Amino acid sequence: MKASLFRTTGLALLAACLAQAPATAEPRLTVISQWSAGSEGAAMDAFGKMVTEKGVKWEHSPVSGFTTDMMNKLRADIIAGRPPAASQLKGPEIKAWSAIGATINLNDVVKATDYEKNISADLAKIHKPKGDWIALPLQIYRVNTLFASKKAMDKIGATELPKTWDEFNALSAKMAAAGITPVAHGGIGWADTMYFELALAGISADAYRKAIMELDDKSLRGPEVLAAFKQLRQLTKWMNPANAGQHWSVFLPALMKGEYGFLMMGGWASGVLKKGNFEEGKDFLCGATPNNTGKPVFDMNADGMIFWDTKNADLLAGQKATAQVAMSKEFAKAFTQINGSIPVRTDIDLSDAGFQDCQRDAAKNLSGAIAANQAIMSLGHNMAQTSPVTAALRDVLTEYVHNDKITPEEAQKRLADAADTVR
Amino acid sequence: MVEARSLSALGSRALLYAILIAFAAFYLTPLIVVILNSFRSFQEITQTSVLGFPQQFRFDNWAQAWGSYCIAGICSGIKPYMWNSLMIAIPATLISTLLGAMNGYLLSLWRFKGANLIFGIITFGVFLPAQMKLVPWAITLRNLDLSNTVTGLILIHVVQGMSFTTLFCRNYYVNVPQDLIKAAKVDGAGFLQIFRRIILPLSPPILIVTVIWQFTGIWNEFLYGITFSEGSARPVTAALMALSANIAQAREYGIESASVLIAALPTLLVYLFGGKYFVRGLTAGAVK
Amino acid sequence: MSETAITMPGQARPARPVPRRSWLSEIPDLLTRIVAGVIATAAVGYVVGFTLWTVLISFTDSTLLPEYNFVGFKHYWQLLNSRIWQVAYLNLTIYGLGFILGATGVGLLLAILIDQKIRGENVLRTIYLYPMALSFVVTGTVWAWLLNPTIGVEQFVRGLGWTQFKFGWLVDRDLAIYCVVIAAIWQASGFAMALFLAGLRSLDGDLYKAAAIDGASPARMYLRIMVPAIWPIVVSVLVILLQTAIKTYDLVRALTAGGPGIATTLPTNVVYDYMFQRGLMGAGSAAAVMLLLSLLIVLLPYAIFQRLRRGKGGGHG
Repeated sequence: MKASLFRTTGLALLAACLAQAPATAEPRLTVISQWSAGSEGAAMDAFGKMVTEKGVKWEHSPVSGFTTDMMNKLRADIIAGRPPAASQLKGPEIKAWSAIGATINLNDVVKATDYEKNISADLAKIHKPKGDWIALPLQIYRVNTLFASKKAMDKIGATELPKTWDEFNALSAKMAAAGITPVAHGGIGWADTMYFELALAGISADAYRKAIMELDDKSLRGPEVLAAFKQLRQLTKWMNPANAGQHWSVFLPALMKGEYGFLMMGGWASGVLKKGNFEEGKDFLCGATPNNTGKPVFDMNADGMIFWDTKNADLLAGQKATAQVAMSKEFAKAFTQINGSIPVRTDIDLSDAGFQDCQRDAAKNLSGAIAANQAIMSLGHNMAQTSPVTAALRDVLTEYVHNDKITPEEAQKRLADAADTVR
Repeated sequence: MVEARSLSALGSRALLYAILIAFAAFYLTPLIVVILNSFRSFQEITQTSVLGFPQQFRFDNWAQAWGSYCIAGICSGIKPYMWNSLMIAIPATLISTLLGAMNGYLLSLWRFKGANLIFGIITFGVFLPAQMKLVPWAITLRNLDLSNTVTGLILIHVVQGMSFTTLFCRNYYVNVPQDLIKAAKVDGAGFLQIFRRIILPLSPPILIVTVIWQFTGIWNEFLYGITFSEGSARPVTAALMALSANIAQAREYGIESASVLIAALPTLLVYLFGGKYFVRGLTAGAVK
Repeated sequence: MSETAITMPGQARPARPVPRRSWLSEIPDLLTRIVAGVIATAAVGYVVGFTLWTVLISFTDSTLLPEYNFVGFKHYWQLLNSRIWQVAYLNLTIYGLGFILGATGVGLLLAILIDQKIRGENVLRTIYLYPMALSFVVTGTVWAWLLNPTIGVEQFVRGLGWTQFKFGWLVDRDLAIYCVVIAAIWQASGFAMALFLAGLRSLDGDLYKAAAIDGASPARMYLRIMVPAIWPIVVSVLVILLQTAIKTYDLVRALTAGGPGIATTLPTNVVYDYMFQRGLMGAGSAAAVMLLLSLLIVLLPYAIFQRLRRGKGGGHG
């Protein structure tokens, strides 16, 4: 009785909306994201400006804090039957969430451009989980980025970033001997997970794909994963255990002073360094993390935006216009210049002064990795697996990083067992 | 002998004050750290540490936090969100206190079969973790057509708050002599009249306790505040979270500190001025 | 006593006009009773409804949204066998005991000291009580600064000259949980102090005199005479602190993020993690139900104790 009453009102409202639609075509877009402040917030504001120029009213409500807080908001809105027209969402979660709320079909909008030809096929697949485009990637970060302190490198007489894990280990040993803490790492769950994935991806991208992205039991219990745990244990010995729980940005000043040697962090760190007036080449070096495979590896973290079906003509018009902006070359440049990411499109010229060398290197790295089929999805940044799987693996990895009593063999077994329970 | 004794009395007196002051330092340290940071620049904090005396006292963190820091492109600081929080916290506090007093009165003075069971169940409500109730609330708000409204948030805080306010008030009213009520009934006074004429005049101590408790709790709540509000109607805790950066950013410690202090001001004032009554009210048997 | 209440409706309408009529007395008495009944029902219904709903969902395979495919006790067994739940449960025991006893102890000590006719009582009391006005998020964030060995107290003390000073609990996986305890005690002990102080002040002056005549030492006087006399308040403090302990969630989130590793995760963090981060609502509900069940282990003895006390006290309260 009650429910039917609501349904009738809903229908009536809907009918009213549809009836009015042609007369009041005022495109607008309601959007929720985590990006409220800093360079992420600024990039989002620039996005909004470009959309506004297309005549769309931009209504952005950021939900900051943890990603989960934003997801809770999204869930509540879906339950309420009024999701935002667009929301930030990425990786396999796009598929999971599109199963509980209706999305719009962007096929026509996408197919009208050359967008699909110019982005990674793996990435495209994530944004059309059932074959239809329902979401769009906005930016890509290279997770496997290595930052080295110029001062620390100078002190041990090194000029080039280590290419392989052996070189990395050798340089780190020298730094340790010179009184430098080789690895700047705080260690919250996601960051610990990220360090494991960088170790494994640098040992074998194929093994990473099989073990982490496909949860293949044989690979999980195989020699490459064990080697990755051993390398990770080596890394933890070069961290300052007193740093546990700290945000990575806390170490930047000390890293620049040469008290630390290396920081492995996604490309967003270069944006923060830029803001702190530190210069690439003078204060720090930036490149890909060690890689034994001989071919480029790119560990991808790509934020995206999903478009929810709102049955409202104004919002539908806004969604279409926004999607067109998000696929454009102008957007690709403007958005990524602000926050230090790289464009989703591989046909963008990054020689503008607005880009940093680090971004150019990452973009080249991406094209190379796509060609070598070594562009992989980040586990720590929820690109490789759905959240239940990620979280189960993360629990094992983060405990391993902070408890040196756990042996690599034991950790490997725990990881494979954890995968069993969630597969 | 006398001298030695008074000396030792003096000594123990000194020890007494030493302990009290040491504890005062323990309680004040975090506040002092935050206050000092609110006067330090971003560069100063990131280049030294979050503990330290300002090289020079700068007030721009305060100005930015209050009125010009940008959250999602709206550069109005946390000022408008303070107002939003007041619009939620004040009605929710008053209504939940009033309803709790009614419940307490009903359960303690109109004793009926099952009153204790009902009281037990309501009290159990104080133990329910907030996470568990998030989705049921989302569904409830949808069914009442109150999703993303201030009214919806007030409703949540009123209903949840009733567990606490009922607990406090019922245990307070239990000590009111039944004879008072009986006499009033003989006089022909009804349910509401007895409440208004006899119970309410006795209640100020406990009402102050519940008001302080509720106001602080609602003001500081952020899980529901983030989930069940929208855009410019956000409570201040949600705005504070928006200030604190996500993984891709370095933290703006100075502005965060100033904002935290501004956002905590209403509750701090409530404790500062109401604290005396709080202690008095609790004596009157708030929780037994 | 209950009969009086039940026979009331018949004589509810006043036979003679009540002096000083107000608009309130115009409202029919029956209506006000109905309204009061509805309010109480809502308060009960919310608790019962939400709890039963959670229990129901805990037996389903719900993920991002509630669904109703039942899977029996699956989530319970999986959780009980999972490492994170075992760690969280042990942590709750340590944290719960440490926090409740610590806050009670500190609160009682401060109340007794403040009760010694000291100068500046108002100022000190306010200082001890103010943390209660802050949210756990703020408490957690600030204590994370203070307890962090590289930026906090350790560094500060070393700066004063004690270069060997060490205080690294926050980053030690076995000791980090005690940092959560310290921060929580900081927040809530002032509240306990206020309650105890109120209790001590409400005691009859004769009790002090009798004790003084007995020649009891101050410590003995408090521990043997005063504290037992305010026993109901002690129980109240314990109950209020217990609900805080059980529900603590944002303190850990802001102070340690559950780390180092998973060393400071509490059951509420697991509930949040399963329900929202992992998007496993069924399993998250099972975790919530198990948390509430563990509460019964503490609450039931208290209820029995209350009943016994009431039985002795002659039906009052």
